[in-house]
Amino acid sequence: MRTLKLAIGFSLREMRGGLSGFMIFLACIALGVAAIGGVNSVAQAITAGVANQGQTLLGGDLRFQINQRRASDAELGFLDSLGTVSLNSGMRSMARLEDGSDQALVEAKAVDDAYPLYGTLETDPPLPRKQLFGERSGVFGAAAPDFLFDRLNLHIGHRLKLGGATFELRARLVSEPDAISDGFGIAPRLMISNDGLAASGLVQPGSLVENAYKVRLPDGAGDARIKQIQAEAAKDFPQAGWSVRTRSNAAPALSSNIQRFSQFLTLVGLTALVVGGVGVANAVRAYLDGKRGVIATFKSLGASGGFVFTVYLVQILLIAGLGIVLGLILGAAMPFVASALLKSVIPVPAQGGFYPSALAMAALFGLLVTLAFALLPLGRARDVPATALFREMGFESRGLPRLPYVGAALAIVLGLAALAILSADDQRIASIFVGATVFAFIVLRLVAALVQWAARKSPRVRSVSLRLALGNIHRPGALTPSVVVSLGLGLTLLVTLALIDGNLRRQISGSLPERAPNFFFVDIQSSDVDTFTHLIEKQAPQGTLVKVPMLRGRIMALNGVDVDKVKIPPDGAWVLRGDRGLTYDARQPENATLTEGTWWPQNYSGEPLVSFSAEEGKAIGLKLGDTVTVNVRGRNVTARIANFRQVEWENMGINFVMVFSPNTFAGAPHGWLATLTDRQATMADDARLLNAVTRAFPAVTTVRVKDALDIVNRLVAQLGTAIRAAAAVALIASVLVLSGALAAGNRARIHDAVVLKTLGATRGTLISAFSLEYVLIGLATALFALAAGGVAAWFVVAHIMTLPSHFMPEVAVATILVSLGVTVGIGLAGTWRVLGHKAAPVLRNL
Amino acid sequence: MTEAVIALRDVSLTLGEGASSVHVLKGVGLDVAAGEATGIVGPSGSGKSTLLMVLAGLERVDAGTVWIAGELLNGKSEDQIASFRGRNIGIVFQSFHLIPNMTALENVAVPLELAGHADPFGVAARELGAVGLSDRVTHYPGELSGGEQQRVAIARALAPSPRILIADEPTGNLDQATGKQIADLLFAKAAERAMTLVLVTHDPALAARCSRQVSMRSGRIEDAPRMAKVPA
Repeated sequence: MRTLKLAIGFSLREMRGGLSGFMIFLACIALGVAAIGGVNSVAQAITAGVANQGQTLLGGDLRFQINQRRASDAELGFLDSLGTVSLNSGMRSMARLEDGSDQALVEAKAVDDAYPLYGTLETDPPLPRKQLFGERSGVFGAAAPDFLFDRLNLHIGHRLKLGGATFELRARLVSEPDAISDGFGIAPRLMISNDGLAASGLVQPGSLVENAYKVRLPDGAGDARIKQIQAEAAKDFPQAGWSVRTRSNAAPALSSNIQRFSQFLTLVGLTALVVGGVGVANAVRAYLDGKRGVIATFKSLGASGGFVFTVYLVQILLIAGLGIVLGLILGAAMPFVASALLKSVIPVPAQGGFYPSALAMAALFGLLVTLAFALLPLGRARDVPATALFREMGFESRGLPRLPYVGAALAIVLGLAALAILSADDQRIASIFVGATVFAFIVLRLVAALVQWAARKSPRVRSVSLRLALGNIHRPGALTPSVVVSLGLGLTLLVTLALIDGNLRRQISGSLPERAPNFFFVDIQSSDVDTFTHLIEKQAPQGTLVKVPMLRGRIMALNGVDVDKVKIPPDGAWVLRGDRGLTYDARQPENATLTEGTWWPQNYSGEPLVSFSAEEGKAIGLKLGDTVTVNVRGRNVTARIANFRQVEWENMGINFVMVFSPNTFAGAPHGWLATLTDRQATMADDARLLNAVTRAFPAVTTVRVKDALDIVNRLVAQLGTAIRAAAAVALIASVLVLSGALAAGNRARIHDAVVLKTLGATRGTLISAFSLEYVLIGLATALFALAAGGVAAWFVVAHIMTLPSHFMPEVAVATILVSLGVTVGIGLAGTWRVLGHKAAPVLRNL
Repeated sequence: MTEAVIALRDVSLTLGEGASSVHVLKGVGLDVAAGEATGIVGPSGSGKSTLLMVLAGLERVDAGTVWIAGELLNGKSEDQIASFRGRNIGIVFQSFHLIPNMTALENVAVPLELAGHADPFGVAARELGAVGLSDRVTHYPGELSGGEQQRVAIARALAPSPRILIADEPTGNLDQATGKQIADLLFAKAAERAMTLVLVTHDPALAARCSRQVSMRSGRIEDAPRMAKVPA
């Protein structure tokens, strides 16, 4: 204890010299900590926003969603007994101009007078509910966001047709408080009244309508009451098939997506921190090199090696602490900035605030990275002999420090990796990411050693500049290892992300539309199927129309066990979440390949059977002969798995997780789903067909695949921008490391430049020597980054996303340009001062 | 004959490895009696400074034995030697080697603090007063002249009251007048406290002030050393 106190006292005295050598150290740690702390704080801010405004976002204290049917009298009686109930019905449909000249897919939402139970519906102009949605001489009112007004070139007062009813746009929709719990739509909202929806005639048996009963409980109803209601609902109405959501879980999909995205960005931030770690190691090494005399003096005055280690460890920790505090201040400020910026992207108010757990994790990462990178130079400093006072460079070796220090550094690296993996939800992805980073780090060290070795072994060249450049690449204290490792890591990350993003977008905008059908038609009534088929054959004679019966249902139980009680791995969880499209077929579909089991006979009439998608079935642990219970229109149906099918989701055709034997749903009313594929169709042909179908079948919802893909593409682009911005933090850290390494080597460069100038070297020779050095290092780094990033992206695209992977030359060119820009640009900017140095003062001090 | 406070027997030392190795000390034997002032002289590269490092326990020998203040240094760990040095040996360097971010007072207090002394700053202030620097206690090394810095270094070496004072070219970085003042101070303090003084110097005048001179050439002591009985 006395020794520690003394060491702290010595450290504080030692630090009176200021932090001049530690600016890069501080910046690297602050940047990484700010990135991790900020990302996690923002994620928690959004989650807190969802939690705190649960009632508003859900539109009630409880939300019971029933699909394709209204609640039965008994169910309604139960709901009414709980408190105030508001019914909102949602469905996709086609809104047409009154003259039929244009149409757009809309997400219709019909509300009653009680809506919204919480929060405020904002419209421009603000109108009372009756005026906004009420009927005036057969025309109902409606509100829509600017997007729909722009899409169909509408103004307030214009009319639209939805199904068989006419609607007048009486206001612009500014804010819909519970939009998030009703799902992100792929089309603009059209808000109408329940009466308006009924008048449209769109709700037919089998129509894909979602009825959400939102309940406002009497004031003071606690979470225990909500749990009790949930239990009652499950017990008293086992056949209801309703999905119940509560105010404490208003937007589960958004919350889990935000969490997953923030964890991915945390890993990216951690990479930035590791890149910055190289700067930390450089700064610590340079600082301790400058302290050799002081360390030796301490030892000659009786200090032990352990004491010396403690003195400098305390100093490094104090400086790291300062960097961490700076980073935390920046990170803590991010939720406040983000709450303003994210308003337009996520319809949830991010709760500006202070999130200690997010910041604590960032601080811990910062501390561990500092220790991981500082321990080896500190361990070496411990062994500086007192004889250093008598000789400028001792005879002592400069290899690895003692075993305990190497062991401690390794243990901290393992701890860091474990923390990154254990704090992630998807530990498999986190493990791959961490493993790849460690592997890249080691390989980059080897690449740096190889570049230095090659420079050392290169044959004597005639060009003085090149000879100088090669010498600078391999001499002790060269830039090579720092730049190759830090810039290499940053660039590899960027190349990987750019290639994944590029491949994904190429798929969405290029390959997918080539394979995908042109249109999906939903909610074709059984009675309309034949006339619909005739219309399509007439309008698109070369097209291929595929149609299947379509129902919607939720999986309730697997082998008789309630799905809520079954532990499902994250891979297969989506199958059990919410409603799935279902179909039946007497024959095996043409595009289906069975992986196990057999198809049922054509006129099968025994126990209901189901064909399950092989990949998803395996993911949730199903095998042949297991039973699956689905709830369709308020009725539970149990079917036995007869076979597993290979489903190629990426061909964007009609694919179902479950195909049932026809007798399963005998007599149940349902609609049809159809696709039209017409490779020759131009955009004008598509528009003509869309218009013809909407005119003839106003109740049929038509989705043009290219439009939907455009929306997905925009979303991917937005995510890609966010990810690239995070990865850019790693590149900034690389630039900091490079600047630090340059600054540390400047004394040697000034010395060389002055000596060479006195021997007759021109500025030109020196500039070309330095430029060549930076070009060679930058090029080697870029080539490695391209190779490593290419392999990593191929692995993710081909193996994890199972999409065809392509290498993109534009990414290669951009990488090389960035790498050379960074090394040559910053390198020359840093050494410009060297060239202008006067010889005399330097020579006097030689 | 008085007891030998320093006793070296057949000490050999090679520095470096392979082709670049140098055999610096070759079978050196040396006894120094308590309270004696010994000047080690010789041409550059003769091994004087290395011998001094061996005496200070800063360099381990390849062969031979090193007894200092009655303790055998061979076989002691680095940290054991450091703590032994803190108690028994004071060192004055040619380049002073003061710690730049510490004041004169703090520099002098360092060895006392490391040894766990009860009042390091009181003793340090007295020692600075004894070398005539009472008015410079709060100055940093950069604010002191060369002579003043060397006085601080002497005060630092004397502060723990070591039995042996070792000085490596203590006047080498100073002008003649300042050098003489520093030499006077060094000899006066060593005599006053009955310390054993060993100094390495190129300056014949400084060497002449020692009660005994040892001359080194090519890693060997040229004149026949006096040998005392080594403690069992």
